Amino acid sequence: MTITGRIMEAKSGRRKHRCLLLCTALTLAPAPLMAEPWVKSFVVDKYEPAFYYGGRPGVEKAGVIEPGVDCPGGTLPMLDFAKVVKTPWRSDEEVASWVKPAQVTDLQTVHYMQERILTYRSFRRDIVSYINPFTVPDPGMPSVVGKIAEGFNLDGNVKTGGFVNSRGEKGIDNAYYRALGCIGSFRGAPYTAAMSVRSTDKMLEGMYTMVIRLSGNKSPMNDDAATLEIGYSPDHVNKQTDGRASTSYSFRIVKNEQYSKVKAVIRDGVVETEQVSELHTPRFGWFPNQMGDADFHQGRIRLEIGPDGFASGLVGGYRDWRDLYSEDTFTQSGSTIETRDHHDVIGMYYALKRNADGVPDPRTGEKMGISIAYRLKAVPAYVIDPEGALSTTVLPADRRATQKYRQMRDIFYKGIATATIQPNPRGSNEGAPQLRQRADGSWTNSDGERNGLRDASPPIGPSTMLQQVNNQEAERTAQPVTAR
Amino acid sequence: MALDRRFLLRGAFQGSAVAMALPLLDCFLDGNGQALADNGKRIPTRFGTYFWGCGLTKELFVPKTIGANYETTQQLASLEPYKKKISVFSGLRAIVDDNPNFQHWTGLAAVTTGISPTRAGEFDSQTIDQTIADAIGHGTRFKSIEATCSGNKNESYSSLGGANTNPPEVSPLGLYTRLFGPGFQDPSKGDWKPDPQVLVHQSMLSVVADDRKRLMANLSASDKARMDQYFTSVRELEQSMEAALKRPDVVAQVTIPAAPGEMPVSKSVPELQKIVPMMSRLIALGLATNQTHVFNIALAEPGSTIFMPGDSKPFHQQTHEEPIDPVLGYQPVSANFSTHSMKFFAMLIKELEDIKEGDGTLLDHSLVLAYTDTSFAKLHALDGIPVLLAGSASGRVKTGYHIAGEGSPVSRVGLTVQQAMGLSIDGWGKGSMATKKAFSEILA
Amino acid sequence: MQAKATFAICLSLWILAVPAVALAASAGQEVGLRLLTESEYRNSISDIFGSDILVQGRFDAGRRVGGLLAASSTVLSVTPASLESFSKMADSIAAQVVDQNHREKLVGCTPKDTKAADDACASAFLARYGRLLFRRPLTGDELTSRVKLAGDLAKSNRDFYAGLSDSLATLLYSPTFLFRHEIAVPAGGKATTLDGYSRATRLSFLLWDTTPDAALLKAAESGRLNTAAGVAEQVDRLMSSPRLEMGMRAFFADMLQLDTFSNTTKDSIIYPKYNAQIAAAAQEETLRTVMDLGLRSNDDIRNLMTTQKTYISRVLASIYDVPYNFHDEWMAYEFPQSAGRSGILTQISTLSMFSHPGRSSPTERGVALMDIFLCEPTPLPPANVDFSIVNNTDGPLKTVRERLLAHATTPTCASCHNHSDPIGLTLEHFDSTGAHRLHENGQLIDVSGTIQGKTFTGAQGLGRYLHDNPKFPACLARKLYSYGAGADSEDVNPAAYKIAYKAFVDGGYRLRTLLKSMVSSPGYFDTASPSAADTKTAMNK
Repeated sequence: MTITGRIMEAKSGRRKHRCLLLCTALTLAPAPLMAEPWVKSFVVDKYEPAFYYGGRPGVEKAGVIEPGVDCPGGTLPMLDFAKVVKTPWRSDEEVASWVKPAQVTDLQTVHYMQERILTYRSFRRDIVSYINPFTVPDPGMPSVVGKIAEGFNLDGNVKTGGFVNSRGEKGIDNAYYRALGCIGSFRGAPYTAAMSVRSTDKMLEGMYTMVIRLSGNKSPMNDDAATLEIGYSPDHVNKQTDGRASTSYSFRIVKNEQYSKVKAVIRDGVVETEQVSELHTPRFGWFPNQMGDADFHQGRIRLEIGPDGFASGLVGGYRDWRDLYSEDTFTQSGSTIETRDHHDVIGMYYALKRNADGVPDPRTGEKMGISIAYRLKAVPAYVIDPEGALSTTVLPADRRATQKYRQMRDIFYKGIATATIQPNPRGSNEGAPQLRQRADGSWTNSDGERNGLRDASPPIGPSTMLQQVNNQEAERTAQPVTAR
Repeated sequence: MALDRRFLLRGAFQGSAVAMALPLLDCFLDGNGQALADNGKRIPTRFGTYFWGCGLTKELFVPKTIGANYETTQQLASLEPYKKKISVFSGLRAIVDDNPNFQHWTGLAAVTTGISPTRAGEFDSQTIDQTIADAIGHGTRFKSIEATCSGNKNESYSSLGGANTNPPEVSPLGLYTRLFGPGFQDPSKGDWKPDPQVLVHQSMLSVVADDRKRLMANLSASDKARMDQYFTSVRELEQSMEAALKRPDVVAQVTIPAAPGEMPVSKSVPELQKIVPMMSRLIALGLATNQTHVFNIALAEPGSTIFMPGDSKPFHQQTHEEPIDPVLGYQPVSANFSTHSMKFFAMLIKELEDIKEGDGTLLDHSLVLAYTDTSFAKLHALDGIPVLLAGSASGRVKTGYHIAGEGSPVSRVGLTVQQAMGLSIDGWGKGSMATKKAFSEILA
Repeated sequence: MQAKATFAICLSLWILAVPAVALAASAGQEVGLRLLTESEYRNSISDIFGSDILVQGRFDAGRRVGGLLAASSTVLSVTPASLESFSKMADSIAAQVVDQNHREKLVGCTPKDTKAADDACASAFLARYGRLLFRRPLTGDELTSRVKLAGDLAKSNRDFYAGLSDSLATLLYSPTFLFRHEIAVPAGGKATTLDGYSRATRLSFLLWDTTPDAALLKAAESGRLNTAAGVAEQVDRLMSSPRLEMGMRAFFADMLQLDTFSNTTKDSIIYPKYNAQIAAAAQEETLRTVMDLGLRSNDDIRNLMTTQKTYISRVLASIYDVPYNFHDEWMAYEFPQSAGRSGILTQISTLSMFSHPGRSSPTERGVALMDIFLCEPTPLPPANVDFSIVNNTDGPLKTVRERLLAHATTPTCASCHNHSDPIGLTLEHFDSTGAHRLHENGQLIDVSGTIQGKTFTGAQGLGRYLHDNPKFPACLARKLYSYGAGADSEDVNPAAYKIAYKAFVDGGYRLRTLLKSMVSSPGYFDTASPSAADTKTAMNK
């Protein structure tokens, strides 16, 4: 009987017998006298930012107000729109007429009106605040004050970072967690926060696949000179009835911008990779247009392989905080995130910026990277090198959205870099473009009809939504989006 | 069972309560005012769909018991009086394959076409109600009737494929006018005509029957018995065609009311509580008087914006914004909306059950598919889309079961439904939702 | 002699009495009536009208007789429900044939007036397709009644094509299309043999799983098929075509009972990985393996018991726990000896079809393999069997083997279980989905089995045992013959195909040899004479 790269579970599936199984297998098999090449691969089926939840155990649901050692005041409350949109040039009447418009009976229109007013709260009326967050004063975002966080000591300095992790390691750097860890949709016990559940659900639906391949010459449980590869696969994860990915499926790994190959040391099933200046991996996300390369500076990975062959792990490094801001904001629109998930986007901008703790800009010295860690769970799989070149799959239906997302991100970066105010591009999702104004100045989100009847006072001019459709038609003839 | 001789229309019009006692259009369908029951007349089987958006709450609706005699769960409490006639399906999946998951669209298209749609807002084939109407919709005035309770003419999910949907009636008055206004065919009066296709099929059968003598001539005894069976089947088919050539008797004893007044359409839950019963009753009357055999009714759109007066956030918004309660484990406000969605379904079922037909009710002679667009609206998840089936399709379906789908594709329900309605198909759906496995445990 | 003479006179009188329409078919005695299977129906429509005609409908499930669904075609008939289904399918097919997209290609003539009848065109159309559908030319009456129907309906609908499609539909649900009528004619002395059209039909459905093509029908009509040379010609033609694979796939799908998958379910808690895609792929894997070995390589067919070569798709690779190379949808794969697999005995199909939803069943596997490969079906267990020991997975007996052995010591049970269980027990390294395992409930699995004093270990031991067992090739030949004849394999007399069997054995157990020799044997089309009782009944009609 040989030990295969992964121990097969006995048919009965009872956990208590797995250890017995392993022991039996090991004692019965002849100990390897010679090292031989080995490969062990995995497909990720859970992935999320590694936030530590400090509330009571057993009370671990997303968006809980529940105070804890991480956030003594509890999860950040829902946004008070009236407060958020108030500016020196905006009267209280204007605020009221937009946040709680009395005459508008259709709740969808009210929702869009709130989105619109949230979008414009800079020092000047015409600025889209999400693209130019530096034009809005910092509203402040309460950060995590606890001392415990998951992650790595990225700079090797126990005096920086300010966190201790569950293994007792000091100097853990996870400033992203500090900055955003009290936000409702991120807060919760592992794999329960709303954004995580959503992202995992999409991953298991087939939105993207992340695979890991370990190899070496000694043994998968102990090897000083192992290699770890991580990257994107175009092959879908197969979801089982118990919610996890099915084991032993084969996946092709694409060696593109989302791929990395690093050295690793394995001791008793714990894999620690080297720290590399750039670790490229697929990006955590919940919308197809967010997909791409998550570039970890000073990145490293830890993976723990259990006796049943399943893995859990941590991916960490410094990520460009501007990239993280864009991910959250421009995937749909800043106002969507604010009205649906109640992230104060402007507060997030400042929180990310001031907590940035790595990758200084050579010109200005400003820190462009923020320390971050993601946790993952993975099941055994086969990772195959494909024949011929393969690229990331972008479905035709997602191409326009992906182009738009990248465009918005580029504009945002440009604004920061040049310290100049950027305009809202044509076809942008910002500012509730479906709102249209009537001749009498009131607002509607219809195109001239309401409840199946002709709108008594229809909007004037072509709808911005119609404009958007036209933009999309024009974009459809543009070059296909290349994987980035 | 006759309805009240005075059909009181109660409602709120522009804020004030109105009660109108309307004069009657008595419409007893035989001269003696007797129910035409138990005389073996053919009662047609009807099909309908009820659509509501944003799903249900898994923790509150999935019964723990699987199979018959499932326990009433909190979110299905309003359906308790009809529980024996309703089956619940949990754990069914819409599988997207290589298409995106179009929020608030892919799930509902998967239920009614068995296909993961390639474009948002479009169906990749005609919807199941139209396929069934193709088979059973002849011989009635309308192939199918569509209606929506929320006043928006875009809210129809019955389609011949692509982006177009069959336009719905958007108000009780509109529905009444369509069914009982000009063109109303009183089946007890003169202008009923048999389906000409039946005559054609009769002549076709007789040609086949003519071959019989020749065919029987050379057979061995046992083969003759088998050939006899074939021609017995031919004879039975001929007999059912003879029946189809006779005017069907509408056995339900119903009264057609006068037209309802104009009512404000609104998605507020209290207003819907008045509109839904009215639309449901009109549909039931339309079925009972043979105006149509197929109906589709939508509560509201998939990103359901039904709301409680005083609360600024409609249902859909709540599903995204409302946090999950740490003690309950679900979103209570969203759950409340889902519970209302089931109460509205119960109102429809009540109207069907209240009409006695033959030795059963209109519900017994119908099959109603209740479906939605997602299992967990917060995530737009497609795993565990709830589906309910009401009515026994004139005995072709066993009712009162909780079926656990265990991750199998939701297209299995559509296949089961079509087989129950007598369609001759062995498989349905495409891609990973292509299936040949109907739920045989509920097919009689 | 008296009876024989009477019979001969009666027969000839009867023949004279039937209206002569220049058909051999009506001059004979019907000796077989076989309902078309679903694939035979679909393939016939596809070959006659084109593969883009949609056939959407429900077919009744068959019944296995003597291990073959094909044999039940001789006992099945058409129920009211299935007639309804057939008539709906007929309407649908006929409507497609005459629709705008198809009529130019398929109708072959245009009516003078599309709103009126055109008997000439209708007659040509119906005669042409009638011959193809009935697998013999229509009789005068059959054609006349349909041309009249087409004309009447064309008039009443003011639509030529409506009349045409409806009259075509009457051909499609006629029992002459739905049933294969096997007609026997005298062959000198007492002997009777299948007539030309019946021969064409038999050859075509056996070798290609479809209706006789133009060349076959012509050979039947000209009388060529009544000669040995003529038969050999057609057999060569049919067997050298790639379409032979369709016929052999249908045979092996039947013999290997792959339709069992439609009833196979697995407990989703114990086997969360198993799904409908795996079931479908597993059937295809097995058929590919058989076709590759039996037809393409023309190998010793007994190697099906031992070969390590197979074809795997991505989903199957996950159960076999091997990497999949993504070159093509089906990857050629050879198991290492260490995997412990052996031919189709250990393919996912065999292993998962004959298992319980939650655990493997050595008895089920043993019973199935004996039935399928050795032609030894096992009788049902007695009614008062106590299953409590074997079903108790929590008791002191940890493995299925221990529980079964304890059970089989009872004499009444042992008589059957001692045959089937050892076979299944050797396969216990594979769970209910076909995945490999070494332990059950923490205990190492013992895969040895003893049959009639011979012990073998594991699947490979079983594979060698079955490979060397002469009952396997004998059973294969028996089933191939029964499949072609639609006979109960338990009742068939091996003498009927003994020449072919000898050629098969002497020639290295090659499938092509068996098949060719069988259908080319002199007596292949011979039929038993009908009994006097049968004839009398026929005459009195």
